[in-house]
Amino acid sequence: MSLYGNAVKRPIMTTLCFVAVVILGLFSLKQLPIDLYPDIETNTIMVMTTYSGASAQDIEQNVTRPLENVLNAVSNLKHITSKSRENISVITLEFEYGEDIDVLTNDVRDKLDMVSSMLPDDAETPIIFKFSTDMIPIIMLSVRASESMPGLYKILDDAVANPLARISGVGSVSISGAPKREIHIYVDPVRLEAYNLTVEQIGNIIGYENRNIPGGSFDIGSDTYSLRVQGEFKASEEMKDIVVGTYEGRSIYLSDVARIEDSLEERTQETYNNGEQGAMIVIQKQSGANSVKISDKVLQMLPSLQKRLPSDVKLGIIVDTSDNIRNTIDSLVETVMYALLFVIIVVLFFLGRWRATLIITITIPISLIASFIYLYATGNTLNIVSLSALSISIGMVVDDAIVVLENVTTHIERGSDPKQAAVHGTNEVAVSVIASTLTLIAVFFPLTLVTGMTGVLFRQLGWMVTIMMIISTTCALSLTPMLCSILLRRVNHHGKVYTVIFTPINRALDAFDRGYGRLLHWVVEHKLVTFLLCMATFFGSILLMKQVGTEFFPTADDGRMRISLETPIGTRVELSKEVTQRLVAEWREKYPEIDVINFTTGSASSDNTFASLQDNGPHIISMNIRLSDPGDRERSVTEIARLMREDLKQYPEYKKTQVSVGGMQGMGGQSSIDYEIYGYDFNETDSVARMLQQALREISGAADVIISRSDYQPEYQVDFDREKLALYGLNLSTAATYLRNRINGQLASQFREDGEEYDIKVMYAPENRTSIADIENILIYNSAGKAVRVRDVGTVVERFTPPTIERKDRERIVTVSTVVQDVPMSAVVEASQVKIDQMDIPQGISIELAGSYEDQQDSFRDLLTLAVLIIILVYIVMAAQFESYTYPGIIMTSLLFAFSGVFIILWLTGHTLNVMSMIGAIMLIGIVVKNGIVLIDYISLNRERGMSIRRAVILGGESRLRPVVMTTLTTILGMVPMAVGTGQGAEMWRPMGTAVIGGLTFSTILTLLFVPVLYCVFASRGVKNQRRKHAKALAARKLENC
Amino acid sequence: MKAIFIAFDQAHYQRIIDMLERSNCRGFTSWEQVAGRGSVNGEPHYGSHAWPSLASSILTVVEDHRVPVVMEKLRQFNDERPKLGLRAFVWNVEDQI
Repeated sequence: MSLYGNAVKRPIMTTLCFVAVVILGLFSLKQLPIDLYPDIETNTIMVMTTYSGASAQDIEQNVTRPLENVLNAVSNLKHITSKSRENISVITLEFEYGEDIDVLTNDVRDKLDMVSSMLPDDAETPIIFKFSTDMIPIIMLSVRASESMPGLYKILDDAVANPLARISGVGSVSISGAPKREIHIYVDPVRLEAYNLTVEQIGNIIGYENRNIPGGSFDIGSDTYSLRVQGEFKASEEMKDIVVGTYEGRSIYLSDVARIEDSLEERTQETYNNGEQGAMIVIQKQSGANSVKISDKVLQMLPSLQKRLPSDVKLGIIVDTSDNIRNTIDSLVETVMYALLFVIIVVLFFLGRWRATLIITITIPISLIASFIYLYATGNTLNIVSLSALSISIGMVVDDAIVVLENVTTHIERGSDPKQAAVHGTNEVAVSVIASTLTLIAVFFPLTLVTGMTGVLFRQLGWMVTIMMIISTTCALSLTPMLCSILLRRVNHHGKVYTVIFTPINRALDAFDRGYGRLLHWVVEHKLVTFLLCMATFFGSILLMKQVGTEFFPTADDGRMRISLETPIGTRVELSKEVTQRLVAEWREKYPEIDVINFTTGSASSDNTFASLQDNGPHIISMNIRLSDPGDRERSVTEIARLMREDLKQYPEYKKTQVSVGGMQGMGGQSSIDYEIYGYDFNETDSVARMLQQALREISGAADVIISRSDYQPEYQVDFDREKLALYGLNLSTAATYLRNRINGQLASQFREDGEEYDIKVMYAPENRTSIADIENILIYNSAGKAVRVRDVGTVVERFTPPTIERKDRERIVTVSTVVQDVPMSAVVEASQVKIDQMDIPQGISIELAGSYEDQQDSFRDLLTLAVLIIILVYIVMAAQFESYTYPGIIMTSLLFAFSGVFIILWLTGHTLNVMSMIGAIMLIGIVVKNGIVLIDYISLNRERGMSIRRAVILGGESRLRPVVMTTLTTILGMVPMAVGTGQGAEMWRPMGTAVIGGLTFSTILTLLFVPVLYCVFASRGVKNQRRKHAKALAARKLENC
Repeated sequence: MKAIFIAFDQAHYQRIIDMLERSNCRGFTSWEQVAGRGSVNGEPHYGSHAWPSLASSILTVVEDHRVPVVMEKLRQFNDERPKLGLRAFVWNVEDQI
């Protein structure tokens, strides 16, 4: 027996099957972690090779190029970029999204093995480094401290960083801005010289003095004792009394030649939170761990951690990425709930019976909840994409149930018992229900096959909607007939409320039907006029396409900004700090929306994993800003960014400024366009880059125009004369080490206290290393103990080191990048293209566009291919259903109007054509043809029942108007909460909702007029053809008879 | 003995079987899905795209005195739900095994 027959016969089994699905679904939902996006696998591998002593050009020639040539052969490679700077070559391999990074890493390793023998002997083995989204910090904590500032690092390390690192899923916890304790022995070079001492001697003596040495064991009587000398310093003060030498029979103490400062590292990153100095704790997650879960645990732990800290140390939150995730998901859940409510209202409005409404709307939660099982089984998360899928589906999952219910109702009205009606009614429509689901699956299933970034994002959408459609069809063919057989009555008794509310509604709907009938009558009478009007609207809207800008992803307002500022290279950290403090004070006053503003400047120490991976230095300032929630402020994050960019123009101290909005680059952030200038010659590419920068600055909408190649960096070099060195019995290494020990300091020993070790460094006092003369006066001793000054064996000269050599796809490159602000990305691209065409570019230099623009182009190409594939699939499904090539063609014309509608609404609302609105347009392919199918199906049914073409069209149209309008309205109203949402992250899905609403409304209206007209034309032509054939056959027969 | 041939919309099937049972008519032959059309009016039952509904038919042979009872009940069914369609024809049985 059939599915529906069984379901009606065995209501308990049917009910419990679905109850089981719901329970499993709810269980899965409870287990589902939440996240912002589906798990995007890493697609980048870095290969780092050090070759000490080589210049940038040597590195490029001898290391980078051979490696690039070999690595270029790795499969699925999208781009290969490299940076060659002094001592190191960093090659970045960017792969297509969705590839297995472990397989790729093995490929890369194999290739590296092949080439390693070709690298210079001194070059070290290349190191492979997988870069991933997990590197993005999930939480940044601010630490304020006053009295505890000097010992802050140890306090934070013990009481905060270590406990946090123990939370499962936390990758690394880095502390920046809290300098480590270090004991400095600042020597006075004049006194050293007077006593004939050197930094090295002092360093060695401290090393010898600061030691614990075991002396072995010895027996006294019947006992064995161990012997030990405990020489380690217990306090840094003790070092003062170390004898470092003798002079004229008197002991020289360390305090005679040096002062001992028990203080902090000299060069370090400093962090300021809301203008006050403090520290920053950055928490990164392990790969694959869930940010929201970790952040929950961290936040839970914070109060107890705070209790363990001294009273002046206060912890705060600068950035909590999970906050944004939670808010976004919450607002999307709200959207889904509204969609559900709207759909229920529409169904109730059209059917007017609560029993029927219940039967239909019950399919919504079942289909939605069932999809959670899929998410849980495949290890996915609840994220923007999966929740959007729910929101999109709400309006569509009811369609099948509506068709079934409607037919069952017809049977009941004719006199069948509900039970019989449920079986026979469902039987009649089962095939067309399955066919219409197939058209939707033909749209959504191919989404699971897309590759690249879009594929990663929308694979889940495809699967979710496909699964929900299948569940809803199963539901419509089993649960709906079963419920119909139980809940529907043969005779309906309407209460007073029903009469009051629904009598006018029914009257209005009847009038609507009649009105449409009349319009249809006019339309089929005036086929040409209708055809021309529709076509004119279509072509008119195509013209609008030029007016609608394009971009990659909409910018989401997550209330976060990252600002990187650069003062000219070589600026002292104090100066950078001072300017930035001024800027922060100004901004805090000007923008009350700022909740937290934090900045870090200075060189990072090498053991800070987070900071050392990023650009750092005394001239680089990186700033994090958190704004209040989007609902609590009037100005959006992009608006504030624009004002800030204006403000930054008033600060000539900054050479480069970049204001980035949003969390992840590309998705959610402001679009960026990279102009890649390929060319070998430094000077030529530099000048082209500068010209382009100038040109871009003139374009409105292009902000933060930055050239990637940094300036030549000034530095002092000591040129030793080897001959003179040899004369004094010295070699270059010895001489250079002497310099290093005096300026950078010699690590003498470790000072131990409470189980921690602190470096003891011997070096010149800061006041004795402030001029070139100080360096020239450094004494270098040879093995015979004879001293010579640096100026006697060499000269100190100022030089400029060439910048990093950047390459992409094995060519030298300079990138000029810009952020797009206030205008669509396409506007800037077009304007800049004009300027580039006007530019006088030397031969051999080419400019190409990359950045978000390239991503957009890739995605659009993917999506267009997908659209074509989907259209073909949908056509196949329809042609199979109708057993005709013409009807599907007629139905497909509604697609034209759907796309018109998309352009018109995007133009009206000022949205752009981006990946989200494109996905909306693609979904429309499946949604709008459904209307056409319903219409054509019924018209041809009328024809089969013997009506004339015109009558079939008009009556068919009239009777199918309500189901078409109803299913369309459920879909449209299901999308309205998405399109008008104002919650956090709503910017992302607003274009999608808007596109679907515009396209569907417009295409439904025109489909209701245009499709009947086309049907008339083609059907009458078919009849004429048949008549002609018939006449021919008759004539032929007559001839034969003659 | 007389034969009654009943042709009707599928929806009536179970009710007619039950009615025959209650009227002590044990024997019958049925065709659950048959296509057909009434001579005067009513929707055709073809099971096709245009006319999706289907009919069933039952041939039952009953004693002469039961015929009016059965026919009365069938008439009642038809009057209750005229849109579904139900027709019955009675003829003589010449011989039987």
